Amino acid sequence: MIVLLVNLEENRTLVETRLKSLFERGEFVVTGEVGPPHGANHQLVIERTRLVKDYCDAINITDNVRGIPTMSSMTCSYYVLEAGAEPVMQMSARDRNRILFESELYGAYAMGIRNILFMTGDHTLLGSHPQTKMVYDLDSIQALGLARHLMGGTDLAGDKLEGTPNYYLGATFNPYADPMEMHVWRVEKKRDAGAQFFQTQAIYDTSRLEEFMKGIRGYKVKVLTGIIPLKGPKMAAFMNRQIPGIKIPEEFIERLEKAGSGLKGAEKRSAVRGEGLQIAKETIEAVKKIPGVNGVHIMGVGWEESIPEIVKGTGLHPRPK
Amino acid sequence: MSYMIVMDLKSSEDILEMLDSFEKIVLFGDSGCAQMCDVGGILQLEDMEDFLTGYGKKVLGYIFVEGGMCDANALKQEIDANMEMIEEADAFLIQACGVATQAVVELLPEKEAFPAVDSKFLGVMPERYHHDERCSMCGECVLHLTGGICPISRCAKGLLNGPCGGSMDGMCERDPDTECVWQLIYDRLKKLDKLDNIKRIWEMKDWSLARGPRSIVHEET
Repeated sequence: MIVLLVNLEENRTLVETRLKSLFERGEFVVTGEVGPPHGANHQLVIERTRLVKDYCDAINITDNVRGIPTMSSMTCSYYVLEAGAEPVMQMSARDRNRILFESELYGAYAMGIRNILFMTGDHTLLGSHPQTKMVYDLDSIQALGLARHLMGGTDLAGDKLEGTPNYYLGATFNPYADPMEMHVWRVEKKRDAGAQFFQTQAIYDTSRLEEFMKGIRGYKVKVLTGIIPLKGPKMAAFMNRQIPGIKIPEEFIERLEKAGSGLKGAEKRSAVRGEGLQIAKETIEAVKKIPGVNGVHIMGVGWEESIPEIVKGTGLHPRPK
Repeated sequence: MSYMIVMDLKSSEDILEMLDSFEKIVLFGDSGCAQMCDVGGILQLEDMEDFLTGYGKKVLGYIFVEGGMCDANALKQEIDANMEMIEEADAFLIQACGVATQAVVELLPEKEAFPAVDSKFLGVMPERYHHDERCSMCGECVLHLTGGICPISRCAKGLLNGPCGGSMDGMCERDPDTECVWQLIYDRLKKLDKLDNIKRIWEMKDWSLARGPRSIVHEET
């Protein structure tokens, strides 16, 4: 614990995050994602972080994706720090009102968490707790504005803060979402509200991303392209059906099916997963060429082991200091 | 097209449970929202009578208000005209909105009045048996900025700054049958040449205006 306190103490004095400085240096940034435990075992956060930390410049902690309760993103971000990596703490507008946003933003800063990523949050009807009362007191744009407001030293009521936080703020966009023009404006709104970097929904067909990137040209924001390696055709079909905003082309699903055809058991599994990794690597190579893309955000979604494979396989390892 | 408070009948189990210790029942309904929603028109009062009779209850009769139970005078007149039946009753079953049930509670506090329906939302009825939500009475109307289409009641997340990332092909991420209202707003404002309304950031909403109990006192002019 003493070591941890020293680490956090150092982090407190950091005004620049590693993520921010790598963007500014023009590096092709790689971030990863660690799924928070579906329970109280914090060791899992540390283990999963250790698995990927040498392959990522920062690690996202998701926030109750699809309304399925997992360990709080703030708590997990703290353990990411403890495991020696830099967290990006996700905050969804679905489960917090403005009071809890302020409260958690103070707490996150106190614990050394600097990168905060805001999102609307999936509808709870898609998850395991559909009867819940959703909050949406703020939307992601207003939440960004709130975080930036706190950086000015007062709360929403105008009362002076006992300790002013400082964050590197991020947000998301989905190039597949409609209407595209409105989503392009939302990127601008998010930037104006305080977002400096963006992570996209998982990209498969890159043409829509290319078009979207033309739309936001000149916005002066950093963009990480979302990558989710496919474990198999079933997962791809599930994602198309159940994960909002995902569009996986049939062609990729067919490739996964073909890779496993005629094989059984572990052999089949390994061949199909290998093809999934191959698709992810090809996508990364393709997005590298799209003007305005500053890196990738690899979401393992329960398959964190894929992250080192993909990073090594695309020549993105070792990561810069 | 009709416009109304939209209601749904509670399950027969729920209704029997709330009337468990009561025998003589008077049913309330009206020819307004209650009839439009097929929960409290004459037909549904008759169905309810048959149902309750089948479970050993005695339905003494109906208080059916032409127009709507929201017409307080008409409701009072119907009650006064049927005072004998009201006095004989053990309980009242209201096949109209939550306001109607509470109106009966206030007019006839000596006996219990029970809701036969769940009041759902303010909406439209494009065709019989089909109702869609249109207003959530949030206390601060924004329709002048959105081309007359409400994002508070019609976006599954009540978002104010445009669609979330789950909006695809004009549909909402929540289910395949719900339109993305932000797509509708965008299309309409584009036609009206008023897209600037939604290009700028909308500030945080004052949700205190949406929470009850709310009272308004209009000054006489």
